[in-house]
Amino acid sequence: MGLFDLFRGTDPASRDLQEASLRRRADIAGSLAQGRVPAATAARLQATRDGRLPWTATLTPAELLIARSHGLRPIAAVSANCWLHYGHSWTEGHQQGWHLALQRLRDEARAAGANAVLDVKMRTIPLAVENSMDFTLVGTAVRVDGLPPSAEPVVATVPALEFVRLLEANVVPVGLAVGARYEWLADWYGDARQAWRGNTESRTLSQFWDRVRRAAHAELRRNARDQGNGVLAHLDWSQMFEVESGEGQPTRYLGRHIVVASIVDGRPGGWVPYEIGMALDMRAGETPLTGRVRHHQSYASNEGEGAI
Amino acid sequence: MTNEIPPHARDRLRGLRSSAHSTGVFTSDFSVNEFLLVRKAGFEPIGLCVGSCVYHVGVQYGSWSRNQELDVLSKAMYHARELAMARMRAEATAMGADGIVGVKLTIKRLEWDQQLLEFIAIGTGVVHGDGHRGFRAHDGGPFTSDLSGQDFWSLLHAGYRPVEMVMGVCVYHVAHRGALAGLMTTGRNVELENFTGALYEAREIAIERMQQEAATARAEGVVGVEISEDSHVWQTHVIEFFAIGTAVLPLDQEIAPERIADPIMVLSVND
Repeated sequence: MGLFDLFRGTDPASRDLQEASLRRRADIAGSLAQGRVPAATAARLQATRDGRLPWTATLTPAELLIARSHGLRPIAAVSANCWLHYGHSWTEGHQQGWHLALQRLRDEARAAGANAVLDVKMRTIPLAVENSMDFTLVGTAVRVDGLPPSAEPVVATVPALEFVRLLEANVVPVGLAVGARYEWLADWYGDARQAWRGNTESRTLSQFWDRVRRAAHAELRRNARDQGNGVLAHLDWSQMFEVESGEGQPTRYLGRHIVVASIVDGRPGGWVPYEIGMALDMRAGETPLTGRVRHHQSYASNEGEGAI
Repeated sequence: MTNEIPPHARDRLRGLRSSAHSTGVFTSDFSVNEFLLVRKAGFEPIGLCVGSCVYHVGVQYGSWSRNQELDVLSKAMYHARELAMARMRAEATAMGADGIVGVKLTIKRLEWDQQLLEFIAIGTGVVHGDGHRGFRAHDGGPFTSDLSGQDFWSLLHAGYRPVEMVMGVCVYHVAHRGALAGLMTTGRNVELENFTGALYEAREIAIERMQQEAATARAEGVVGVEISEDSHVWQTHVIEFFAIGTAVLPLDQEIAPERIADPIMVLSVND
């Protein structure tokens, strides 16, 4: 008996299970490395696509209703993720992480024979492992009646109700754009804080922040250009730190800004094909009409980790 | 006056109590709007159904540097939820309910014992107003659904009926970093494939099991699928992946897509 056998169960049933699991893990590792959908997932999606397994959808009944009335049929809840270690940059890792997850989500959607993935939510698994973070996407792959499966299914990071509204207005949400930028500022002249002055702007920090933010937004624009002609529904996340340096060295500042948005593709100047009535809700305080449920779970708070 | 108060309500307001209600009292945790919508859908609440189960979750350790499902814990989380749900359903059956809507499935820790967890399933038993029995689950018992009264109404209007709450559980040990520590010095952003793979496997197992449950219930699909992750009482690297949703079947008479009414667009001008 080798050392390895010590870890295995003794009875044949649990040995079989463990061997199946080992095979599955090896396949997942190999598939991810080669950009394929893992075999077990692919088989399940194929069975769901063929109607041998029930369809699954993250949609609420109201969303299912509106999807059906617009000729969309759910195929399967799909998900993908990427766990990234930040060796070089925490900030820029967000772009890499989401893009890799997005690519994998598209692969799953293609395997499901879909035209689009709706209701895509960004999530982060609550497990802190030093200098790394998980990027998970979960959504529902759908097909559009009368269309063949797409080679490049669109990924809509908006709820299904909004997806349908956009389609009606001749606009298609197609993907996820990320603009992430960080910069260091060394305060050589010691004028960032302006501690010895009265009411006055800290031009140094204003300009610094401005640079970082503009750079992130420019990145977002570049990022969106390949897939669509606009972005909607921003998620913004930013932080600035002061870092004391050693004797004789200037204080340094780190500014970072991450912008994530849904990419849309549509003709400008389209019309909105329905009437909108005004409603005045007489209830005091929060009303269901204006209340919002957060769609994405990532970037819910401004607490981040990692150096840059 | 354009809206007459119906006779029963009028009598009750006058202080009279009709004999129809003296036989029974219904209980529910519905809000007013939920109640009205369930009724609009043709159902009446008859009673709150509760099932609970205090479960001693056993111990299982994953080996430090390996990704693996902790099947003892998976089974425990499954079994405990099943027990709670089955008891709730038994109560519904006893009161003659056609189904249970708004089921909330919660887990409570007991402060004084790390390994004891209380699983509670609670929902409102409903009957069809006209005694239609076609809404029951495939085994003739009451359907179960975690949909609220609002969602229940919407689902029926989408042309589907709930059959059974379905779930998939996978408690997974995510490997510690030891073997990968070498990467930390490279100064590049790299994917930790081992971690990515762990989440892939755990999620796949949970979804697979949920979908299998739906197939067993002979459902056509599953709506409102939610996938969540929680460490419960375990160490941080042990995570439960939990997939849950409501398995559905089309109504006897399927509603044609063009007959589904579009919602009315309103703009709240409050703010």
